Amino acid sequence: MAERISLEVPATLSALCSVRMVLGGLGAGLDYSLEDVENLSLATEGLFHAALQTESCERFSVEVVITDGDLSVYSGEFRSADLRRQVEDGDEGCLDLCRLLRETVDEVHCREVDDAYQVVLVKRGRGRGTSE
Amino acid sequence: MSGRDERRVNDPLDLQAPPGQERALDGDDVEGRAGTAADRQGRGRDDSEKLDQYLLRRYHLYGDRKAREQLITMYLPLVRSLARRYASRGEHFDDLVQVGAIGLIKAIDRFDLSRGVELTTYATPNIVGEIKRYFRDKGWSVRVPRGLQELNIRLNKVIDELVPSLQRSPTVKELAEAANATPEEVLEALETSQAYNSVSLQASPNGESGEEDAGLIDYLGGEEEAYDTMEDRTTLAPGFAKLDKRERYILHLRFFEGLTQSQIAERVGISQMHVSRLIRRSLEKLREEIGELDSTQVMRPPGSVHDS
Repeated sequence: MAERISLEVPATLSALCSVRMVLGGLGAGLDYSLEDVENLSLATEGLFHAALQTESCERFSVEVVITDGDLSVYSGEFRSADLRRQVEDGDEGCLDLCRLLRETVDEVHCREVDDAYQVVLVKRGRGRGTSE
Repeated sequence: MSGRDERRVNDPLDLQAPPGQERALDGDDVEGRAGTAADRQGRGRDDSEKLDQYLLRRYHLYGDRKAREQLITMYLPLVRSLARRYASRGEHFDDLVQVGAIGLIKAIDRFDLSRGVELTTYATPNIVGEIKRYFRDKGWSVRVPRGLQELNIRLNKVIDELVPSLQRSPTVKELAEAANATPEEVLEALETSQAYNSVSLQASPNGESGEEDAGLIDYLGGEEEAYDTMEDRTTLAPGFAKLDKRERYILHLRFFEGLTQSQIAERVGISQMHVSRLIRRSLEKLREEIGELDSTQVMRPPGSVHDS
């Protein structure tokens, strides 16, 4: 059975602290390495920064789900096509959001939700990820 | 060394030849002569003092930069020796050496030939002072309880110890156990490290950010050559120009070579925590730099086509 923690945080950089602590706590519970936790935080922060530039909402929803030892972060709902393009399309040789996400988590995709979408970041459990 | 060479080196007043035409003081030769403290004791103390004086005069009277560099090289063992005294306080030894080198360079630059004191006498308090200032000034940008600061420093050491033995990044639980703390305390301490400011080792030796002065990274370490060989075009991307060589190199290793923080730490010769901080700081610098740009241009190299 999946374990879920839902956060609704102000769309400000200061809210990142709360998100990081939640991710760190859950990562610790799953015995993730420090670097895995750090990478998941970097990915979430990168997405957060991009969303602040492209979305015009006052709050962000972040849902963290644990399934079979994997940690998934559902962020959104977003509506910006620009943000979606940044998440999905990267230029080879560029340190853009797409590369940042793909180099720090094991899976990135957008999930349709009505007329919006969520960005889903997945960090696999220890021994199944990329950074061990 | 020939007899003629020896004579000229031992004669600090032998300044007839203009810089560049005098007997070449070979770097290896000088380093070999400087060597360790034991080496230093082994050779004649007078010779050593005269060599110092000779190089100091070449630098201060003729502006001979090579003499300055030779002095820096000669006295790095002293810096290392002094830095070692402070290495148990949670900061990486190499970082302390680089900070101490700032003190050494300041001492060489400010040395007053007319005072008649030895460079060692003058440089030692400068080096120690710089290291102490590092501990005092690097500081915390927000108020962090002392216990958490100390735990953070302890974690730095513990991570450095655990990574080689585990051959991977430790978990929070492993860190907590090794640092004699709870996982919650570890997480809190790590979060507070966001408020921790490291001295930029790219700062110029005189503490200013002038472009004419070489940064410490140009004086020390052997990895900078690798920084230069990095030809990935990302280094030309907007924002990257604001990063120093080491930051660009670390980002390259992490995001284009796919190295882990631990692997980068090993290759660059700094702690994993330091790598983590540098990555985070570099990404922040990039974001700040491109903040004014259209978000679709974020970190894209010049000339790339992007339909916005």
